[in-house]
Amino acid sequence: MELSDTQIIERTLGGEPDAFNMLVRRWERQIYGLTLRMLGRDEEAKDATQETFLSAYRNLPKFRGEAKFSSWIYRIALNICNTKLRSRSKFAVSLDEQRELTGFELAADLEDLGSEIQREQITRHVRRALQGLPFEMRQVIIMKEYEGLKFSEIAEVLGIPLSTVKTRMYTGLSELRKRLEHLREAM
Amino acid sequence: MNTQNNCNMHEALMSYLYEESTPDEKLRVETHLTDCGACKQEIHAFERVRGMLQQWQLDDMPVLRVSTEQTGNRSILAVLKELISVTPIWAKALSAVAMAMLVLAVLGTDVSVGRGGVTFHADLLRRNRVAEQSVVGRPENPTSNERASVEQIRAEMKSLVNQLVADRESEQKEQIKAELASLQLQLQNVHSADLAKVISRIQEQQTRLKTIERDIDRREGLDLTDILFSEVSKPAERSTAGGD
Repeated sequence: MELSDTQIIERTLGGEPDAFNMLVRRWERQIYGLTLRMLGRDEEAKDATQETFLSAYRNLPKFRGEAKFSSWIYRIALNICNTKLRSRSKFAVSLDEQRELTGFELAADLEDLGSEIQREQITRHVRRALQGLPFEMRQVIIMKEYEGLKFSEIAEVLGIPLSTVKTRMYTGLSELRKRLEHLREAM
Repeated sequence: MNTQNNCNMHEALMSYLYEESTPDEKLRVETHLTDCGACKQEIHAFERVRGMLQQWQLDDMPVLRVSTEQTGNRSILAVLKELISVTPIWAKALSAVAMAMLVLAVLGTDVSVGRGGVTFHADLLRRNRVAEQSVVGRPENPTSNERASVEQIRAEMKSLVNQLVADRESEQKEQIKAELASLQLQLQNVHSADLAKVISRIQEQQTRLKTIERDIDRREGLDLTDILFSEVSKPAERSTAGGD
């Protein structure tokens, strides 16, 4: 029988530090996905994921169990992403971003391209469009679209009202619609 | 049909889009969408945006492992192990030497280098050394004694070195002499061989010269008839000799 997050935490706090690795294995994909989409940079996302779990382990005694572990660790990950984004220089642009900013344009006739290339190009556009969103909107969209959280869970993670989550979602999607409208034909 | 989206249905549309509406809310939105073109258009646009967002999927998951050992209260041994593992080899060697010196110092080890070679004397807490010193006693003027000893050693070393140099020189002289003698012998042998060849050739030439002179003398003493007869008689003599 698989242990619940709470049981693993109890074991970890009870003197089995290796039990925490079960939580890492269970949640690392989600946290990496969140940090990658929030930060847009692979190496930075890996670092943020490591930092998230280390921070969670250090602060595990402070976890009260009132919220779900997933909400708690998502909040830690988002805080770390926010710190990283703030510390980023305005002029520091990754190679991927440079390539996207300078040389990236959709092919004139996407039908001629293979579906894989087309998907890759759409992904780049999506990635850039997401990075262009304000942090508050971006985190809501990512948690909803990629992590599959319910609006109520996002509200719990962020500690904001449900209506605010939905409004941010609506505004974010409207912004993305504007930015990605030209891909409509390609879709 | 309303084409401007000022319906204030944002939250309801979001719940509907993500299928989180209550049954009542869902019915209300669907009823609204049949009447409101702007909201209907917006919902379709959002669905397309969602489709594009879903294009960005993670292909691979990097290997991420968080070691809980790094975060807890680590033992000094674990810290030392990690430190040693990342320390360069020269620093390890230096540390080993320093550690050895420290241990030797704690053990009260004396290391001395003298004519008898390198000697170690380990004396824990220096008890025996104190006892020895108390028995033997320290010299009143160790500096002058040490100086005299150093001078003596220096003189001995000097004479030893001089002796070694002299021995070496004489050895080299002997070697050079032997080599010279050998070379002279070889040269003499070469000369005598050449001389013998020349002498033998001279003797050979002299013999040939004498032979030629005898022939000339004999021919000068004979006339033509003698020569002719001698030539005729030779076959007869040969035939006679052959008949025998």
